[in-house]
Amino acid sequence: MTAPAAWAERQAERRVGRLLRWYPRSWRERYGEEFAELLLAEFAERPSSWRRTADIVAAGLLARCTRAGLTSHELPPLEQVQYGVVTLCCALAAFLTFGVAMLAQLATGWQWVAPRSASAAGGTITMSVAVGCLALIGLAAAVPVTWQAVVAIGRRNSRLAWPGVLALACGTVLIGGARHFQNSWPGTGGTGAHHGLVPAGLAAFGWASTLSVSSFWAHPALLGIFPAAQLAWMASSPFAVIGLVASLATVMRRLVLSAGTLRYVAHLATAASAAAVLFLAGAASWVFGTGPGQTGLFRPGLVDSAELLIMAIALAVALRAAVGVRRARPRLA
Amino acid sequence: MPDAAATPAQAGSLVTFGRYAGPATLILSSLADGAKHGYALTKDIEQFAGVRLAPGTLYEALSRLDSQGLIEALESDDRRRPYQLTAAGAQALRAHLADQRRVAEVGLGRLNRSWGPA
Repeated sequence: MTAPAAWAERQAERRVGRLLRWYPRSWRERYGEEFAELLLAEFAERPSSWRRTADIVAAGLLARCTRAGLTSHELPPLEQVQYGVVTLCCALAAFLTFGVAMLAQLATGWQWVAPRSASAAGGTITMSVAVGCLALIGLAAAVPVTWQAVVAIGRRNSRLAWPGVLALACGTVLIGGARHFQNSWPGTGGTGAHHGLVPAGLAAFGWASTLSVSSFWAHPALLGIFPAAQLAWMASSPFAVIGLVASLATVMRRLVLSAGTLRYVAHLATAASAAAVLFLAGAASWVFGTGPGQTGLFRPGLVDSAELLIMAIALAVALRAAVGVRRARPRLA
Repeated sequence: MPDAAATPAQAGSLVTFGRYAGPATLILSSLADGAKHGYALTKDIEQFAGVRLAPGTLYEALSRLDSQGLIEALESDDRRRPYQLTAAGAQALRAHLADQRRVAEVGLGRLNRSWGPA
């Protein structure tokens, strides 16, 4: 082979490698080699085609969505349920990050004075009930899954150990940081506060753990009055949340769960979706509610509308995953 | 070829392919006369249907057919892996093409009655 031909071949193989990266690893392991051969033959015939590139990118993203249990291309039932539940959990984690920020604002306001607007009161009560249900469902699902993860790590499953350690570290940072900063704003723990709908400590913890979800980012001048430590927490806490969710998702994907456990978790996933729908309904009734009582912390703003939109998108993803889980559940052995 | 393993549900499964039903039909039709690998499938389909399936679309349809047991991969010495039709795939293709033929006959019949023969 001449030097220019060898160089052209290396370039083509690099192109193939770049295009293959759009696909998930499991897909590449199964189809990667034969797909690379097809692409090399295509490149030889037609060196350049943006339509072909767009088609490969779209198909790669679709394959990734399939591995997340989000398409009509169903995986084997065990994988469909397990990956679907993981996707649902990730989507609900994003949903709750914004939802808890919203609820913490209302619950903190209620520490000082009960809302006079029916939409704010009804919305806060609905969201509180829904988040309570989600916490119970999460706990019910976490017990058997955590137990199986601990047993697997105890048997020296190294693929679970590192994400397990990372989840523990991120969880510690998130809880420790939120506990440290939860009363750093007078509104979350002043002496004049009375008992509201949600215990003051919980409301303050929710506020501090989602401090990064804030309209202050759009007002740099106001941000300047925050203490440096609090600003650092606002900037760094999202990384703790992302690290926690990503590492837990990795553990759940790699864990070998029995069909019985998956069936149980699949039922809880359906219940969690229903609770999240209830939460969103409460949030929407507050954001779109009108009335003279919508003042102070109970007054919805543009940021709350944006949060509602993000929550709706996250919930749509969670519900799509729940549909796949529900379809595959009867096929579990 | 015997098709005892194919069930009625499997035979109608091309319906569940959504927008990949078209590419899946072309692939099954191409494999109906023997095993082929990806590039050979592309060229054969281009020749008999006048459609060139892009690589991403081809492999998305192939993986769906593979996971539903309508085609199967054969062992190969090189990196190009050929695929062949399974009994379930043959039955699914037969049922799907029969449905399409019924639709084509109705459409052509109505055209002939209303607009005259071509």
